[in-house]
Amino acid sequence: MHVRAEKNRSVDRRVESRFLDDMAPDVLGIVSCAQIAEIPSRSFLRIHQIQEIHASQSPWDSAEVGITFEKPTGLAAQLQKFEDSAPESLEFDRLKEHFEPFLRAASLSSSTSTAPAVAPSSAAHSHHLHSTSITAAASAALARDIPGVSKYNPLGRSTSGRAGVNGSGKDRSRNKDEMTEYRSRVDITSASGMGTGGGDVDVEYMRHLETVGEVASLDQRWTSSWAVSLQAQDLKPLRIPLHSKRSKRCPACTHILIKPEQKAQSVRYKIKLVAANYLPAITVALPHALKAQAEAAKRTLGKSSSAAPEDDRGGTGGAMHAGKTYPFHLALTNPLYDPIQVRLSVQRMHVSTAASYSADGALEKARRPPFAVSLPTSSFPIAAFAEAWEYEDDEDMFGVDDDDDIGTGKGGREKEGRGKVKTVGVLEKRANVSVVGGEVVIGKEARGAVKFNMLVSYTYRSDDPAPSEGNDGSPSKSTKPPEIKTFAFYTVVDLGPIIPRDDLPDS
Amino acid sequence: MSGPPTTPRANTLFNPTTPATSRVLASQNIQASPHYTTTRRHSLYGVEDRVIIDPGSRIWKVGFSGEGRPRDVFLARGKSGASLWNLRRATELAERMEEEKLLEVNLQTCLRSVFHDSLLTDPKARKVILVEHPLLPLYIKDIIARILFENHVPSVSFASSHLLSLFAVGRITGLVLDCGHLESVVLPIFAARPLYPHLRTTPLAGARLTSHLRALLLMFGTYLPPPSSLSAAINVPAANRATRVPQEVLPDSVIDKIKTRCCFVGDILGIPADARETTPGGDDGSEFEIPPSDTTQSESDFTGGGSNISSHRESSSEFSVITNPRVLPADAPRGENHLQALATLYTRHSTATELQMRVMPPPFQQTGTGRGTLIIPGWIRERAAEVLFEGGDVDESSIAEVILDSLLKVPVDLRKTLASSILVSGGTAMLPGFIPRLHAEILRALSPPPALSRQPMRSDRSLPPQFDQYASLRPLLPYFAILNNPSPPPPMSDRARGNAGKAPAFSPAILAWVGGSLAGSLKTGGVEVAREKWDEANTNHDPDQSMDVSAGFEDRAAKNILPDWTRTPLPSGAPPASAPRIEVGAEI
Repeated sequence: MHVRAEKNRSVDRRVESRFLDDMAPDVLGIVSCAQIAEIPSRSFLRIHQIQEIHASQSPWDSAEVGITFEKPTGLAAQLQKFEDSAPESLEFDRLKEHFEPFLRAASLSSSTSTAPAVAPSSAAHSHHLHSTSITAAASAALARDIPGVSKYNPLGRSTSGRAGVNGSGKDRSRNKDEMTEYRSRVDITSASGMGTGGGDVDVEYMRHLETVGEVASLDQRWTSSWAVSLQAQDLKPLRIPLHSKRSKRCPACTHILIKPEQKAQSVRYKIKLVAANYLPAITVALPHALKAQAEAAKRTLGKSSSAAPEDDRGGTGGAMHAGKTYPFHLALTNPLYDPIQVRLSVQRMHVSTAASYSADGALEKARRPPFAVSLPTSSFPIAAFAEAWEYEDDEDMFGVDDDDDIGTGKGGREKEGRGKVKTVGVLEKRANVSVVGGEVVIGKEARGAVKFNMLVSYTYRSDDPAPSEGNDGSPSKSTKPPEIKTFAFYTVVDLGPIIPRDDLPDS
Repeated sequence: MSGPPTTPRANTLFNPTTPATSRVLASQNIQASPHYTTTRRHSLYGVEDRVIIDPGSRIWKVGFSGEGRPRDVFLARGKSGASLWNLRRATELAERMEEEKLLEVNLQTCLRSVFHDSLLTDPKARKVILVEHPLLPLYIKDIIARILFENHVPSVSFASSHLLSLFAVGRITGLVLDCGHLESVVLPIFAARPLYPHLRTTPLAGARLTSHLRALLLMFGTYLPPPSSLSAAINVPAANRATRVPQEVLPDSVIDKIKTRCCFVGDILGIPADARETTPGGDDGSEFEIPPSDTTQSESDFTGGGSNISSHRESSSEFSVITNPRVLPADAPRGENHLQALATLYTRHSTATELQMRVMPPPFQQTGTGRGTLIIPGWIRERAAEVLFEGGDVDESSIAEVILDSLLKVPVDLRKTLASSILVSGGTAMLPGFIPRLHAEILRALSPPPALSRQPMRSDRSLPPQFDQYASLRPLLPYFAILNNPSPPPPMSDRARGNAGKAPAFSPAILAWVGGSLAGSLKTGGVEVAREKWDEANTNHDPDQSMDVSAGFEDRAAKNILPDWTRTPLPSGAPPASAPRIEVGAEI
């Protein structure tokens, strides 16, 4: 018995966890199994513990389902062996053998055995199909007369004739369609005797089921076209599907917009022309939510209870209650090298859109828009984007988000302190970021999420055509020297869920 | 190779063919695996193999022809598990357009993921076989075809799913039941010709089972919220925490999990015949599917109130002997009592174990630690599927009834052939025990109706003959056989013995796909629509067609080149009476 060095290859096989529900599929590694005395010098598959959550779980090994092999080779090769002799592929080939003579007799052309049935209907509507079905029928008739080619038909006929004579005469209807009977390699009855295929064995197994986990989940079984065992312990490894990298083209001009590098390991792009490079980026912040979050963080800093993450995420601090008014901030970042003038306008909520946006149960209630949004109506400027090296200190550049948080948090507090301050309007301008305040008034019986459409239109003057041509990517537009360009796009702003009046949490 | 696994054939009628078959088989043995590998190479580098797409309303099966199993099976709407389309469409025009637009977007995502994620192939390179359900609405077929052709697929063939399922078991004649998500459809097929006019359908299928299962769990399940603290988990006994099941812990994904991993179909209860007559559980089908809790559910769109009224009317007029008046959902207290009675009945007769399942607590209760526990009573696991076998309603026949109804329409000389080659496909049929139960239900439906002790209205008249729907099928009783019955009952005839359970052990859900794969590898498949045809029809015909066709059907031109059996000219029956032809057309 020789012990092989442990080879943890990354393998193209996976077993979905049968130890825990709702667990992500695992990637298997091959290990040698010197420690198992019964099957020395064989390798088997074992779940390679790649997730910490699995660390305490007992590993799966392929010896349980009878997959062992001499050498720790690539897993695909091992599986190929099983797939080639899989019952479904053998049965499939047999079916093909069964139908081939019949089809050859029925028609030589590409028309099908189903064609006679469907052709009349389509023929009525399409001249083309009509003619092909006629030619198909003609060639079929020809084929039938050639002896040797249609070796099926005479046999079939004589069989049915003899069956009528020899067999019990009442069963003459047995072979009406002149098709020889197909004899399965493995029929469902014998398969179900082994506990597959939904027969009595399976029913008994289900009846005495102890835990849900014993039964493999649907997506672990559903690619199998053959009757498989229900039990999770009989699951075989599956291949990991390959992933594709896609390039994208413009639907209008077919210009390539995105093209990833071909190498599988690389995550970079050869070409990457994305709209985000040209549109102002918008981030939404709710001052009161930020404050609540900060407080929650402070609270949980001391006690490291297990409930902390839930509080952060699902806590009601950030949510909005029906019947109240909340300010919100939109931070717009200008990616262009020219200053832009931005105008925001909220699409009027129609009743129907409101209804479709609100959550399922609230369809009848949403007769009126459940909330009203106010935003500054006048246009406001955002300064041009300057390259990083133009800034004195990098903090301004990279700390944008942090600054934002602090700023908005302050704004919220100031508002509470001094009563009504300006919540609607331009609140802050920094570098190429402008923060705009808005306000949402939520109706008393509002439900669902505060979600509205916003039209963002922005204009800029490209003073010198040369740089803007480089930046813009739309050279046709910047041929005329100083030019006002206007762009507009719709975006959906989602401020988060509304807590309805009736079920305010008691906590 | 053909020897050991196959059980010997009982009848000897076909002895003459055996040599021929075995010769074919022998050659196949030699060829088998090399052939398979060559086709596989084709899938990778060649383009001869076609793409087989079996688009369900919820689950899609896709792969290459010539392979024994699909490459990928996925939920069409992702994890949510929602269905792409439903049995009904919006009535308002604007709403309907919105619906269609959404459907198109979803279908496009699905079809793109078929080529880009599942098959990793170029749509331009391969022909497509679309496994087409006979009741797939034309507009959906049209959208699918449009998306495929916009992605430059060379041609699309439409093949009937029922026929393909038959192919997959090596036959071209049979009565095929497809029990899917939205509906169960029976279609007789003779010599590869689907007899579409004899098609029968019922909405008792996966979706109904889902909503019924949810209703049962809401009423009879138990939910243990997560303990508020870890110490409480030890101190507070589970019984004190037990509550009714809140709706929020039963999203579709959880129900689906229960359905696929916990449920099975038990035998007919020991008292089948009397249950119909004496116990209130007799026509339980009607009330059963509409427990009072259903009214609060938004998603149970199949148990709508509208159909109740109409079916009530029809049933009382036509089948007043058999069906009792349907209990309307408004009649909540009685329904509840009745369900309770059913529950006790089932509990008494069920030996299935109770199961516990961990579920996410509802969002407003996320105060405790960890997950909640859902306790599923054993009888729900065993009896949830009863809803599929409880008929009596004209619009919603049970699955057994729908098979018999279809058989009643089939020409008499084919009935025996078809009755002895019933094939069951579809995902809902994957429930363990479903097919054996279906067979038992067919036999039960055919059993002579219990003699009602009726007094003639007037003594001078003899009693009118009792209504006996399936009397003409009763002589066929010994011949009924389900081809893919995993546990066939002891056969009552040679025919049944030769057929029952003799189908290859393909799983019912994938049968249609396997048939499609087979058809593709044999270079057949349904009516093929080439891309040139499509383009031609869509560029030329559209403008002028829209002039003379009524407003609702601007897309008529596009649809016209898609094959569709509903436009088959009707057989010329009796000459039309004085009624103008237009009326006949309008009824179709």
